[in-house]
Amino acid sequence: MTTTVPTPIDTDPAAATAGIQLRGVVKRYGAQVALRGLELEIRDGEFFCLLGPSGCGKTTTLNLIGGFVAPSEGEIWIRGQRIDTLPPHRRPVNTVFQSYALFPHMNVRDNVRFGLKMDRVPRADSTRRVDESLALVGLEDFGDRMPAQLSGGQQQRVAVARALVKRPAVLLLDEPLGALDLKLRQRLQIELAQIHRGVGTTFVYVTHDQEEAMSMADRIAVMNDGRVEQLGTPEEVYRRPSSRFVADFIGDSNFFSATVDGGIAALVDGSRVPCGAGSGGAVLMVRPEAIRIDAGGGSISGRVVQTSFLGSFVRVAVETAASEAPVIVAIHDEAAVPQVGDGVSLRWHAADGIVLEDRE
Amino acid sequence: MTVAAAEPPRAPLAQRLGTHLASYGGFIPAIVLLGLFFLVPLGIVVCYSFWETIDYSVVHHWTLDNYHYFFSVSAYVTTMWATLWVALVSTAIAIGLAFPFAYWLSRYVPRRLRLPLLVLVIVPFWTSYLLRVYSWLTILGEKGVLNRLLQWTGITHHPLSVFLYDRPAVILVLVYLYFPFGALTLYSSLERFDWNQLRAAMDLGASPLQAIVRILVPQIRPGLITAIIFVFIPILGEYLTPQIVGGTGGVMIGNLIVNFFQAAEYTRGAAVSLLIAAFIVGLLAVFRKSLSSADAYGA
Repeated sequence: MTTTVPTPIDTDPAAATAGIQLRGVVKRYGAQVALRGLELEIRDGEFFCLLGPSGCGKTTTLNLIGGFVAPSEGEIWIRGQRIDTLPPHRRPVNTVFQSYALFPHMNVRDNVRFGLKMDRVPRADSTRRVDESLALVGLEDFGDRMPAQLSGGQQQRVAVARALVKRPAVLLLDEPLGALDLKLRQRLQIELAQIHRGVGTTFVYVTHDQEEAMSMADRIAVMNDGRVEQLGTPEEVYRRPSSRFVADFIGDSNFFSATVDGGIAALVDGSRVPCGAGSGGAVLMVRPEAIRIDAGGGSISGRVVQTSFLGSFVRVAVETAASEAPVIVAIHDEAAVPQVGDGVSLRWHAADGIVLEDRE
Repeated sequence: MTVAAAEPPRAPLAQRLGTHLASYGGFIPAIVLLGLFFLVPLGIVVCYSFWETIDYSVVHHWTLDNYHYFFSVSAYVTTMWATLWVALVSTAIAIGLAFPFAYWLSRYVPRRLRLPLLVLVIVPFWTSYLLRVYSWLTILGEKGVLNRLLQWTGITHHPLSVFLYDRPAVILVLVYLYFPFGALTLYSSLERFDWNQLRAAMDLGASPLQAIVRILVPQIRPGLITAIIFVFIPILGEYLTPQIVGGTGGVMIGNLIVNFFQAAEYTRGAAVSLLIAAFIVGLLAVFRKSLSSADAYGA
């Protein structure tokens, strides 16, 4: 609870400005290491995403903050108070569970009220807060329904209202949209971002869906194998990925093995293409929308093997000698789409040729 | 009042009766079985309880004497209360042990280990009831395992007889006998529970105990009550266990009934039997609402 009086040992004025700090957090399950010395600072009030494939440690991180898992090593601080030694019900943190975990024997109102009841909030006060919370998620008329009478999206919103009614310092969301269909998911992404702006609570959101992370988060931590691979805004993570893993995980990308020297990359077929800073053996990454496709005059030549109309753009696959997999190019101008079998030439700006360390 | 203008022509009575009966035809075997093996014997017991026994034979003379007699002998009434008390305590202990066991089994034991453990709970049923009760004599008796252990460790020097032939022994054996009923019933309702709900409750500020009492227990209430009924009702009618391990101190109402029948006092025995039956029916009526959960939670 936020009212817990901190003991001198467990306070750190310097950390008070940070929302959440994870300091050297290690989590081992027997011989398996789920988290390898995690250092993470989440700002107060931001919408923070933990993004990564299953088994990367993102859910473990969430459970560590929520208190359902104890760290093997390291410390966790929230607003200058050490919390990793506190049981879940004493942390200023509430969670929206993947399965929602609504209480089926209570109506919506009593579900939302539950946390306030546990805190012994006076009845009149709690009624007002429950109403506010339900209004926040647009369910003010559903207080008397039972959870089983609600749709998936409505249940999800009850779960959010139930967690937010306690005004936590941090709201944890564990893939809360995972069970919903695409249309509803996109709508709720917008709603969640709106709710976040409305309440100003720190949101920590776990997902394996890069689009979901990109669409809502202020900052994203891309996780892999128990580590944070990259931390940054959606734009930074997309435009300046720090590793091949991040580039591959977020968005579509083309990879070329290359030897880099002075802004020029020599590819395996001998062609020379412009690129960013770097030197030596490396991997060159170019986003599909950064590639210009012409009849001739480019850096790499190849042959069109497939064109796919995807609505807002056309995806063209070009076979070249410079890479194993066909190079993927996204074209927004339908008039410029070549025919399958055409010989084409590819080029891009030096700034779009991202040089990455050569490791898998 | 207006009369329906065009009433359809009605089929002959016999024919309508025929189709009416035919639609219930499927129930006939059930009605015959239930009638033959349940209603008729019950009817006989009811009649007996209102008849008289004179010189070891039942006389068809209607009277309430059998009921008057039971309540006029204070030893019988005491036994009745003692039986209730023993049944309550045994049920409380059996369910009190079965709940943590079922909770542990359904929440913490890996799925592949659950079946072997459940089989271990059921194994005693493959052995004769009588054998299982008698085996407690070899544990609790004067030359039993417990006494030998106490003497061997030097805690006592003479065999103790306090373990047997009184209420504690009866309660111990009853708990042992009925624990599996409670454990199996509770397990089957706990198995379907979404444990994330307990996490959610704790996340919202509930202590582990509050989470169990406010979230888990209300949802498994039908299973809990079934378990209590499965344990409590058979214990009310127990007579072998108190007879074998209870001695004179552990007599229960079942023993009274047996005694009446062995003494050929059929009508008095029938009256006591019906008293138990009436009590149980009353109990079930009270719990009836909690047991019907088909449309619970507006699902």
